[in-house]
Amino acid sequence: MLISSVVAAVDGGGAGFDLLVSALITASIGCVLFYGSTVSPTADSALAFASVAWSWVAVSVAGALPFLLTGVIPWVRFDDALFESISGFTCTGSTILSDFTSVPQGLLFFRSMIQWFGGMGLIVLAVAVLPALGIGGLELIASESPGPTADRLSLKVRDTARRLWLLYGLLTGLISVALFFAGMSIFDAVTHAFTTVATGGYSTYGDSIAHFDSFLVEAVLIVGMLYCGASFSTHWHAATAGLGAYRRVSEIRWYLWMIFSAFVLLVLVNTGELDWVDNLRDSLFYAVSLGTSTGFGTSDYIAWMPSAQVALLVLMLVGGMSGSTAGGMKVLRLQVVFRYAFRELLRARHPKAVIPIRMGRTTIEEQVAAKVVGFVLLYLGLVVIGGITLAGLGVDPVTAFSGSVSALGNAGPALGEAGPTSNFLVFPRIGRVVLMSLMLFGRLEVFPAMLMLVASFRGLSQIRRRRG
Amino acid sequence: MTPRPPVRASAPALLHRLTAKVLAGSGSFIQRLCKGKIESASGVTVGAVWVLTAPVFFLCAAVDFLDDGPDYFPLLVSGVIVEIAGLAVVRFGRFPSTLPISRLFTAVVSGALAALGAVTFAHLATGTSIAVDVALVEAAATITGTNATTIDAESLSLGMISFRAIGQWLSAAAIIVVLVRVLPHLGVGGLDADGGVATRSARRLAPRSGSTMARLMSVYVGLTGLFAMAYLLAGMPWVDSVIHALTTLSSGGFSTRSGSIGSFQSGAIEWVAILGMLVAGTSLPLMFRAMRRADLHRFVRSVEFRAYLGMILVVVVATLAWSDEWPTVASIRHAIFATTSAISTTGYLSSGLGTVPFGGEALLLVLMVVGGMSASVAGGFKVMRFMVLGQYIRRELTKSIHRSAVGKIHLGRSSIGETALARIIGELFLATMILVPVVLLFAADGLGVEGAFTFAVSSLSNVGFAFGDAWPLGHLNSLGALGHLAATFLMLVGRISITPVLVAMGGIGEPTQRTIRRWRLTKRDEIVR
Repeated sequence: MLISSVVAAVDGGGAGFDLLVSALITASIGCVLFYGSTVSPTADSALAFASVAWSWVAVSVAGALPFLLTGVIPWVRFDDALFESISGFTCTGSTILSDFTSVPQGLLFFRSMIQWFGGMGLIVLAVAVLPALGIGGLELIASESPGPTADRLSLKVRDTARRLWLLYGLLTGLISVALFFAGMSIFDAVTHAFTTVATGGYSTYGDSIAHFDSFLVEAVLIVGMLYCGASFSTHWHAATAGLGAYRRVSEIRWYLWMIFSAFVLLVLVNTGELDWVDNLRDSLFYAVSLGTSTGFGTSDYIAWMPSAQVALLVLMLVGGMSGSTAGGMKVLRLQVVFRYAFRELLRARHPKAVIPIRMGRTTIEEQVAAKVVGFVLLYLGLVVIGGITLAGLGVDPVTAFSGSVSALGNAGPALGEAGPTSNFLVFPRIGRVVLMSLMLFGRLEVFPAMLMLVASFRGLSQIRRRRG
Repeated sequence: MTPRPPVRASAPALLHRLTAKVLAGSGSFIQRLCKGKIESASGVTVGAVWVLTAPVFFLCAAVDFLDDGPDYFPLLVSGVIVEIAGLAVVRFGRFPSTLPISRLFTAVVSGALAALGAVTFAHLATGTSIAVDVALVEAAATITGTNATTIDAESLSLGMISFRAIGQWLSAAAIIVVLVRVLPHLGVGGLDADGGVATRSARRLAPRSGSTMARLMSVYVGLTGLFAMAYLLAGMPWVDSVIHALTTLSSGGFSTRSGSIGSFQSGAIEWVAILGMLVAGTSLPLMFRAMRRADLHRFVRSVEFRAYLGMILVVVVATLAWSDEWPTVASIRHAIFATTSAISTTGYLSSGLGTVPFGGEALLLVLMVVGGMSASVAGGFKVMRFMVLGQYIRRELTKSIHRSAVGKIHLGRSSIGETALARIIGELFLATMILVPVVLLFAADGLGVEGAFTFAVSSLSNVGFAFGDAWPLGHLNSLGALGHLAATFLMLVGRISITPVLVAMGGIGEPTQRTIRRWRLTKRDEIVR
């Protein structure tokens, strides 16, 4: 926030003071909490999940302050500020701002910044913490790429984080320079680099990337998104041990194939609707933007053919690779689920066969596969529950279900009324609360979020018992 | 143990004896016929299906003749052709002494395809539909019990209407055969695994699968008769009431009117239909047991039945709560009607069309996916399997806190084995994998996003109506030939469940696969040398 206030001061937008105030408030509350509580020495895993999850919530609440203090979002709509902040910290990129011209530059910078910070926390979470805790079968990341995953969490997590952040920072710099040379202003280049690296998708303009209408900018962003939607631990490994590291990871093949086939499909569907240059350009951009759960927009795909929209929805559902900042169900899990289903098919034919589930060249343990399957089932269940709730609040079913998919997958735009050029004000107020919680659930890989609730209820009942 | 009350030799017992005789008679008839040289289960099944469906052609030709309809001659001729073809196929085939599971699956699938072929033939011969793809999808809707059609029911001759209704009814009867004979091998959806759990050891209904079949079939036949009478008493003309009883109890959904049940504009008839659909979605062994002992408490004791009713109740309440108007008796009836129609995968429509709120729509869609109870004639994924999946998720959540926790999944008093569990999950994923490309195809072939998705779900679950622009039944009309073929495929997959279909397809594909693998291996050897 301090950095943003400096930016605002330089820009002279008048929002600097407000940002400064909110920074001070946050810092002081943080200090009070930090010194006021003691860390219990015996933390079980539910508590560990809970602390990770609550820290995300706490940061999001703090991030909502600047929107309120600058008066961009009035105090009566504090939940909208929270929505914007959560959407930022979870790297989703769904926005409720409709008029970007009246928003001070400092705040726009702040918006991109929180996505960047969210991505930073996320990358450690995705590469080191969650796999080590074995969430939803994420320990599989380590099985194929011997990157900087932490085997023993407490010893290595700081080390891992440092390496990952180095890579993350370098990438941000690289992309912003590239964007600058592609014709953006410094401010735009930096903010867009922030949100690209975090696969977040906040833009400083209402019409997103379409504002620049530049092929070069889009090309840079496509490359950036594609890179950042892939596993960072593989990237680190490739950076230290040569490009052969990529070839060994089967997930990367699936990831690229998925995006490529989506691209081909989109091109085929859009043939005859758009002229071929636009077709290739927009199809590729959207295949990458939604396949990595970034959610930048160039044109309005709501006007595309229905089957193109269905394809985009599937992309949003699956999302990027594990070990990256991308959201969604993750390609890794799709892979396991495919293998699992085909094994059942083989078993139906040969009932006594013992068939291992393979991923690339490694064999997956039965228990890990069960975890992955459990995760996918829960994920799909949440999509359905979210969709029903939103539809029940009076949103039309396409918008409701795609909104649910988009929020849980941290993609950004949805289908129907909540398309890339629209904003999420089309959802009713309670509906946005539902979306917020879906974003958090999706970002925290569902299981920790569930356990967070479990642990919190347990804690509450403990406190009550102590009093009573 | 208390002594069993004596089974009275009453109408039900008579019915049971009659059904058993018909089943055994047709079985031995086929067995006497097939004395050929070629040992093939699929061939015999195809032939048997044709031989046994041909009488339906004759019956409907007779109906049409009495009604002075235009279709009696084509029906008669096509019936003769089907009969001759069936006899010819059966004559040369012989049922193998041992049957591996994959062959069994192939036989079931080819039986379904044979029925599809026969019904398509009837549609083409009578000129009900001229294009082959339309005839195919109509036939698929008939044999899978889906209420999706391109034809206005009121433009059909009585012979064709009864042909389609009897087709739906017979195919559901065939599903009972599949339920008893085939699905136990699959571990899911049949009597053995979860159906047995639901009603506690339904697999021990009778010592031999043949008599189990006869018992279930007699329940089915008896209920159909009862509901025909109920419709009649509720004020339906007698022809309509027979036809509607046939399509209600089979969870089929074809009607004699273009407005479905709703065009009768009668509350009493709609209530009868609601009850009928509820029964169609209920497990047959459960009903048999409850009826035999007159013990209604069995329903209460069944976990699955409680979940089934509970879901209906929740959806009805939610739909009413989300609609803008204050509930009236009529609107409550319409809500219950739509809900039971979706969960039992019947696909009837009541007179309260166009009043479904958005949330209700989403919930109905979920109910379509869930479908009826296991071991019922309803389509869908079955309540039991979803209960198992819910337990599975809960177990995985517990495991993520307590690493070494071992949880066995219980439903009611018995536990579900890991193999059955894996089958259920595999089935769900495979069905999703089939569903996604078809949704894409539907969307490319003239439906909107909502219409494509809901219609794909609806045809996979054999319901019929779907949402979107073409609500409620216009989806097939707005699809092209490719879409019709895809819908045919989905309906078939939904009816015989995905694994047998894929295994049967694999049966064709496996030799090819083997050849390719061998060729690749030899090529690699050459490279090594």
